[in-house]
Amino acid sequence: MGMQRGAIGAIGDDQQRGVAKRPMLDRSRSLARVALIASLTALPLAGPAGAQQHGGTLIAAFSADPAGFDPVRGPSGMSHVVIEQVFSTLMLLDPDANPIPGLAESYEISEDGLEYTFKLREGVTFHNGDPLTAEDVKFSFDRLRAPDSGYSYGSQVETIDEVEVVDPLTVKFKLSQVTGPFLIYMAFPGSSIVPKGLVESGHDLNAHPIGSGPFKFVSYQPRSAIKFERNPKYYEEGKPYFDAMEYRIIPDITALTNAVMSGVVNFSNEIPPKDWATVQSNPDLVGKAIEGSRYYWLLPNNTRPPLDDLKVRQAVAHAIDRQAIVTGAFFGQATPILGGVIPQWNWGYADLSHFSPRGDPEKAKQLLAEAGHSDGFETSMTIASSFPAMVAMAPIIQANLQAAGIQATIGTMEIPRYWDEVWSTSNFDITTMYWLSPLADPDDFVTNNYKCGMAINVQKSCSDAMDDLLERAKAAPTQEERKELYRQMQELSLEEMGIVPLVNGWILIAHTKDLQDYQPMRTGFLKTLKDAWFE
Amino acid sequence: LTHVLRLIAFRLLAFVPTLIAASIVLFIAVNVVPGSAAKAALGIDATPQAIARFEHQHRLDQPLHVQYLAWLGRVLRGDFGNSFQNHVPVGPELLARLPVTLELSALAFLIANLIAVPLGALAAYFHQSKVDVSVTFMATVMGAIPNFWLATLLILLFALTLRWLPAGGYVPFYDDPFRNLELMVMPAVSLGIVSSALLLRIMRAAMLEVLSSDYIRTAIAKGASQSVVIWRHAIRNALIPFLTVGAVEFGFLFGGVVIIEDMFLLPGIGSLVLVGIINRDYPVLLAAALVITVVVLTANMIVDLLGSLLDPRQVHARSGR
Repeated sequence: MGMQRGAIGAIGDDQQRGVAKRPMLDRSRSLARVALIASLTALPLAGPAGAQQHGGTLIAAFSADPAGFDPVRGPSGMSHVVIEQVFSTLMLLDPDANPIPGLAESYEISEDGLEYTFKLREGVTFHNGDPLTAEDVKFSFDRLRAPDSGYSYGSQVETIDEVEVVDPLTVKFKLSQVTGPFLIYMAFPGSSIVPKGLVESGHDLNAHPIGSGPFKFVSYQPRSAIKFERNPKYYEEGKPYFDAMEYRIIPDITALTNAVMSGVVNFSNEIPPKDWATVQSNPDLVGKAIEGSRYYWLLPNNTRPPLDDLKVRQAVAHAIDRQAIVTGAFFGQATPILGGVIPQWNWGYADLSHFSPRGDPEKAKQLLAEAGHSDGFETSMTIASSFPAMVAMAPIIQANLQAAGIQATIGTMEIPRYWDEVWSTSNFDITTMYWLSPLADPDDFVTNNYKCGMAINVQKSCSDAMDDLLERAKAAPTQEERKELYRQMQELSLEEMGIVPLVNGWILIAHTKDLQDYQPMRTGFLKTLKDAWFE
Repeated sequence: LTHVLRLIAFRLLAFVPTLIAASIVLFIAVNVVPGSAAKAALGIDATPQAIARFEHQHRLDQPLHVQYLAWLGRVLRGDFGNSFQNHVPVGPELLARLPVTLELSALAFLIANLIAVPLGALAAYFHQSKVDVSVTFMATVMGAIPNFWLATLLILLFALTLRWLPAGGYVPFYDDPFRNLELMVMPAVSLGIVSSALLLRIMRAAMLEVLSSDYIRTAIAKGASQSVVIWRHAIRNALIPFLTVGAVEFGFLFGGVVIIEDMFLLPGIGSLVLVGIINRDYPVLLAAALVITVVVLTANMIVDLLGSLLDPRQVHARSGR
């Protein structure tokens, strides 16, 4: 493998606009249009360059409350959408989740793939005026790697052996093993660069985050609102365009949708599928649907008979009418997963048409007969009642299973009880859950769920062959090799059927018509708000 | 006057044990609800070690009575602890949220009274006429409507269809009084209309009783004008039993804002209760419930005092006649 170089020089507006702008699934309810995204990706942006206007306040609605703003402590997605606005990372993700240079204007990877050298942009300052240097980068990662850091994403930094300051604007990461997703990790909000001097002097980033990102943190009213103002010294000149931003926290999803519909807020990426048609018919709103990585799974308890028999799990998997779930529970706004779980937009995708979209009850019955259950069996399905999509899916799955001879009774449970009594104790026959990958690397799509002993492998599926493939796929030196290993891994996952994949639910975004050039990201992150402006 | 002072002293003395008893009930109730605070706070991929560390850090691994005494000790010093979810101190958040809920329940109470007092008096005055029947019928219907259902209809009509009012949000009164009231109208109306039903029936009954009493008949016999009889004698006296129920109703309103605040995006105490329950955020839930208890007890106390001031017998005792 030869020397790789990242893009050199600041990312100009042209590159951002010419390459990255993608036409979205505007006002589409047709499943077939998902393929359209992929085929239109090369189209340049239609609007004239230089039309952007400064000004205005973006008010965005979210259902969750953040749990802290220090990159080392924020464990939740809601913390991250705040952190990514206030801080900067060495790398950024383009809307299709490919890593592109951020704070680093270029990078080099050594031939053996174990050394990453980042050249930092000149003249970047933190919101308090301190210059951002290689020392801050080293400090930030040493802080994440500290044994008692409590960092929730420790696995991302565990292969970093040493961070070395070469000169004030050059920093070198030495890795203990080849780490396929390393550049993606460098774009993760947890990998934000924090100001060394300020943190060492005792400043609490959790209470008042100070970074070098497009927006400065102004205030946080718990469970109510987070306010930002524009950072006029942001390193991408002219950006961001909004004078200010406000994140409103609206826990009730119906109230959130009402706030969007009536113009109380002008942005949300949490529109429930059932309200999608209403959003689309609203003349003041623009709806954008994008396939990300929000998988819905059916989890059969791999340790409980008869689901401990892989033929029985395969029978369950083939019995399910995924198209009916897409239509009935997601109002068309989801993709049925017919093979491996890595989605088509990602390079790790493998075209394995394993399931029939409408299900195959005959095949399921045959598999059950082979497993010695020709009369079917009785089982139970426990659902967390706080997830409307999963509650809607349950009766469809129940009917599908019944057609194959499996009698499943549905039980629902409020979420804190569910975490305690069902999830963390693996106390279920069948349950459903979803997994939202914030990283857009195949490793993050599959390892957490399929690898033995992971915290969310509550279905307790364990196989040495799977663990081995996952580890090799993560550490393989080239993307081609990784892709091939993920194909094998996905084939194995369908054979072992530790998890029954169902559908990939799209990210549904609505914003007011006056918001221009906003590009949704596959990861669900909102960093691209810095490129958007008000007409 | 000494009688009134004695009354106040007695009520205050009873206040403390009532509050402590209520706090014990609250503490037990919060803790017996199934579901783990640690798992709710740490999320889907929390490791057992992280859960154990969380529980130790927040003393959740100690016996309940030890936890309660530690909590009570902190609360007495004015420290409500930090939220499990966002690690922010609960006390200042409560103070910031209290005015929202007080304003909402006061406005709702005002609306309820503006409906209940005149209509109740009217129904009583025209006892067993068509007016009475229709007012009573209306009260029955209003009382049967759940406030969140009425709120949904109001949002649908005034915010989403006609677009006359915002669907939700909050602006402090001192920042922009007009905007504040605009945002408060729908939540206050949806609470107030439903509350008015009970108050209306109380007012009607109280008024009926007063109208059939001897002193009203005497007043009429003396040739007092109808308006003097109604306004000076009847309504004023009917208000005394009405007020007692009114205080209880205010308590209901203050404690009943949970869903309404959530629907209208009002950052008050009620929505705090809701997130406290959903997240098993014990410090938040306990503090919010305690504030509601204090407000309800205070409302009852004030009305007891007011009642004794308005009672003619008290007035006579005071002026020495």
